[in-house]
Amino acid sequence: MTAIIELDRLSFRYPGATRDSLRNVSLSIEEGDFVAVIGGNGSGKTTLCKTFNGLVPHYWVGEFAGEARVAGLDTYDSSVAELSATVGYVYQDFQNQLVRPRVRDEVEFGPMNFGMADFAARGAEAMAMLGIDHLADRFVWQLSGGQAHLTALASVLSMRPRIIVVDEPVAEVDPAGAHALYERLTQLNRDHGITVVVIEHHAEFISQYARSVILMDDGAPVWHLPVAEAAARADELAAHGIPAPQIVDACAAAEVPGAPRTVAEAATLLRDAGVSPSAASSLREDDAGERGIAAAPRPVVAASSLSHGYRTVGGDLMPVLHDVDLTIHAGDRVALVGGNGAGKSTLMRLLGGLQVPRGGTIVLDGVDTRSAPSARLADHAAYLFQRPEQMFLKDSVRADVLLHPAGRGRDDADALVDRVLDRVRLTEFADRDGRTLSGGQQRRATLAIGLAMSPALMLADEPTASLDVASRDSVIGMLDELSDTIAAAVVATHDMHLVAEWATRVVVLEHGRIVADLTPRALFADDALLAKARLVPPQIVALGRELGIDPLPLSVAQWREAVAPIRTEALA
Amino acid sequence: MSRKTRDVLSVEWVKLELIRTAYATRGGLFARMDPRMVIGWYLLLAVAPWLTHNFTTILALFVITAASAALARVGPLVLGLFLIGFFTDFLYAFLAAWLFGGDANTAIALIEINLKLATVSLASIAAFVSLDPEKLSTGLLALGAPELLAFGVSYGYRMMPILFEEFGIVFTGLRLRSAPGARGFLGLKALWRWGTYAVQAFYPIFLNTAKSVRTTVESLETRGFTANQGRELRIARLSIGGLDVAVVAVTVMAVMTAFGLGSRWPLG
Amino acid sequence: MSQTTATDERTGRLRGTVAGLPRDLTGSQKLMVFVLSMALSGVANLVLEIIPDVTIGPVDVSVSYFVFVPLALVALLNPFWAALGAPIGEVIFVDLLMGDFSGLAEIEGIIQMFLALYIAGSLVRNPRNRLQIAIAAVTVVVIDKALSALVDLSKVWIGVEDAEFVEGLPESILLLEGIGYAVDILMSGVLFGVIPAIWLIPALHGRIEPLLGMRPRVPGEPIQGSAPRNAMFVAIAVALSVASFLFAFLEAWDIELGVFEPEWLDTYGPGFIWVGVGAAAIAFLVGVALARLARRNAGSEN
Repeated sequence: MTAIIELDRLSFRYPGATRDSLRNVSLSIEEGDFVAVIGGNGSGKTTLCKTFNGLVPHYWVGEFAGEARVAGLDTYDSSVAELSATVGYVYQDFQNQLVRPRVRDEVEFGPMNFGMADFAARGAEAMAMLGIDHLADRFVWQLSGGQAHLTALASVLSMRPRIIVVDEPVAEVDPAGAHALYERLTQLNRDHGITVVVIEHHAEFISQYARSVILMDDGAPVWHLPVAEAAARADELAAHGIPAPQIVDACAAAEVPGAPRTVAEAATLLRDAGVSPSAASSLREDDAGERGIAAAPRPVVAASSLSHGYRTVGGDLMPVLHDVDLTIHAGDRVALVGGNGAGKSTLMRLLGGLQVPRGGTIVLDGVDTRSAPSARLADHAAYLFQRPEQMFLKDSVRADVLLHPAGRGRDDADALVDRVLDRVRLTEFADRDGRTLSGGQQRRATLAIGLAMSPALMLADEPTASLDVASRDSVIGMLDELSDTIAAAVVATHDMHLVAEWATRVVVLEHGRIVADLTPRALFADDALLAKARLVPPQIVALGRELGIDPLPLSVAQWREAVAPIRTEALA
Repeated sequence: MSRKTRDVLSVEWVKLELIRTAYATRGGLFARMDPRMVIGWYLLLAVAPWLTHNFTTILALFVITAASAALARVGPLVLGLFLIGFFTDFLYAFLAAWLFGGDANTAIALIEINLKLATVSLASIAAFVSLDPEKLSTGLLALGAPELLAFGVSYGYRMMPILFEEFGIVFTGLRLRSAPGARGFLGLKALWRWGTYAVQAFYPIFLNTAKSVRTTVESLETRGFTANQGRELRIARLSIGGLDVAVVAVTVMAVMTAFGLGSRWPLG
Repeated sequence: MSQTTATDERTGRLRGTVAGLPRDLTGSQKLMVFVLSMALSGVANLVLEIIPDVTIGPVDVSVSYFVFVPLALVALLNPFWAALGAPIGEVIFVDLLMGDFSGLAEIEGIIQMFLALYIAGSLVRNPRNRLQIAIAAVTVVVIDKALSALVDLSKVWIGVEDAEFVEGLPESILLLEGIGYAVDILMSGVLFGVIPAIWLIPALHGRIEPLLGMRPRVPGEPIQGSAPRNAMFVAIAVALSVASFLFAFLEAWDIELGVFEPEWLDTYGPGFIWVGVGAAAIAFLVGVALARLARRNAGSEN
């Protein structure tokens, strides 16, 4: 094997920055490798990857020292255009990468710009490789998130690159879509010999798909190791914000050595080691406790025979919700799940009074949503949009949090804001613009905005989307802590960790109908339902099922409890 | 007052109309034609009205473009805005004539002018509404426009519904979270409030758009937009077919007939 | 940032020059400013398009544009490319899409708005100075509207010169134009110009530039891409204005002369159409010259 990317003592500083973003990076990547670049926020992952196709230093013009050779070309002496024939780059916010109206135009755009006469053949080939030929004549705004991501990938594949860089592939697509994308990348790597570089936070994807791992810290690589060796350094990874996959944690908790890559491997390892945990002792009481709270519920929002639809571009009415009956009681933590287009966001908007239904009624905190303007309903329900930057309307987090309570003339507004900011641990960032915060901080800031509205009902659209594992866990923890200040919360989500660790009730929507309304544990035990709703349970739940534990562990903590008795027995 | 879901005159409706218009999804005659011929057709009807002062001819030309607009299946938003503009211009013209003590002749002259303007405007609606951005920008390239303008057309059309929706979301956020207030005399207070929201909405819109534009332009760079070698390839895709020739020929004949009618039965 | 003074020893060979000095924008940064300006001005105009116009008698009291949007861009970013993007964005996003496209006469608007914005943007040396911003906001409207008012007035002038006309018409037109001008400066220049701009521009200063990978404008440093203060620029500006007048007349000669003196065309013959063609040629040549100039500047500084 030969190295396709060689960096020698590379340093780079952005214009106006006080420090180098990359510092003396020496690195080589073999042709045909599948590399995961990991590291905390600000560790220089993205800057590193932008040196591969010459965006650094040709687009981002800063101080550049050292050498970078990609497929034999010195990047400093060549242009982005030349390098683009070798390196394809798929962005994290890939929607902004799509600049043409139709998928086919988009995929042919690159080859056409470079004046390649066979652009049509290249486009067709790229679409065929990713299995999206049937989308060729669609408009890009008609695509689902996963399809749009594949289109962005196809549009760089049509240049027949030898290297593909994908920045955080899992960030904005649902779990099933993320696995599908990784399968495609693996296929490109295996069958076409394309070198794949991904920037990734999720240990389970790294261990399952990557061949080698580069850990970045503070502008320089700490090490570059084969994936098995990298996975074995769980503590070091955790210290850099990459917690080990749940199955690795599970093995460690059961004191079984090894770093399994898949749930099946983990189950075999554990079975071979003779671990057969039974249910955690606390779980049955837990279930009883949940039922106890729900004994005398006050309805926070009640929807009856709800139906709604939107006009399509063609002018027809596309029904989104059919005859939905749903009552959310005080104390409920509801997760709305279901594939794209199942009607989750629509239901949330209706519940929050942002829109009114075409049929049926919604009574929110005692008020019929048809009878009050949406601005007044905002006192009863806080709706958190999916993209945090859409909620940052002012130039500081504090001003954003203050907007609602001050507007409603609350005397204690300032004190309330201080309290809320303290609660979400953002006091020290209160004077910064929300957009400058990290992903996890942005989510917490939107939670603070919602909390300061003192709502009875909190509605959050994908509150954990595009977060790394550590930030996601902190947001889940925060949601957990906040349950005492709001009567009920509803989240629409694809994140099964959030469902498993936070929700007390799961409402599964499909084609605008509620197909199930049950506890998370019951959901994860129902194979037919999981398949129908395109859900993938978290690894720890899958492992519990594989080993036949009942009731299922929903978190690693519950798993620890489940294996604890065995360990004591073994010790005794 | 009870709220209900509105299918027209809402943000969602405007967005849909923009998409429908931008991507010519209604089909229509000109959507199937070669963009160069559509631009040529437009120029023909945009110039013709200025070459005459014969009221009959102008009326006939107006009928031709109105028929074309119907064939192009122009949407209600665009047509509505056009009609509003058209009628206010008429009113303004009459008012001006009356103010300056004009007589019937002045009024007719003003109607004539407004009809001419309406003809040109309708022709541009029929032509440009029918061209999807890809076709329009390729057509512009073929006619020698700079690459930047051709890209701007295509990108602008793609981004506008998205940006408009973003504006709608930010505006809703401001409306929900800002201080509520009374409507005031003639709703003036509410109007003032909405004005301030519209202005305030630009702070987040500026920053959010800047962020997405950065990705867009970076990606353009990596995909050779600035390498600029694809002009011929793109132009080579265009072809003029039977339909194009037929439509232009029919239009030329119709225009000539209009002039003929005018000279035989002049009205003014 | 926790460590700000860490001096990192670079072991690799330094390529090119040490950054930090303001340098000319790269081609793609110019593209970025242009595209951003186009998109934002387009949205602003679209929002405005949906608000119905209010007309009191012959005086239009509506807001003609959200001046603060393009002004913020020219005051914070490269004024040349931002000023170019704004009117083109309006034409593409709104006029073409909404069927408000008036063909060649659009070029008149583009040239006037470009000149107004370019000069105003070059006036803002410190984006946190509210006085400079206010002056710039009013400047945009004054230049743009003065150019179009001149066009309007000269239309009447030509129309009146050889027509038997109503007494006092020039005076009333002058009065109407004057009122319109004052209303525009008040509504567009102050209400939707100065007032939002003195809040928005300082708020965005230092926040939007890093998002685009650029250095914020610092008082005392020369502004990249600002209007040159020399006779050449004045000459080009005048040439552009004249060209824009001719474009306006291309649309206007018929309105004024055609209405009141239909035999005009017979007198001068259709050859007068070539005036329009000439105007197009002038504008095209000036555009080419400007592009050349910009490219040569970029070339010499790199």
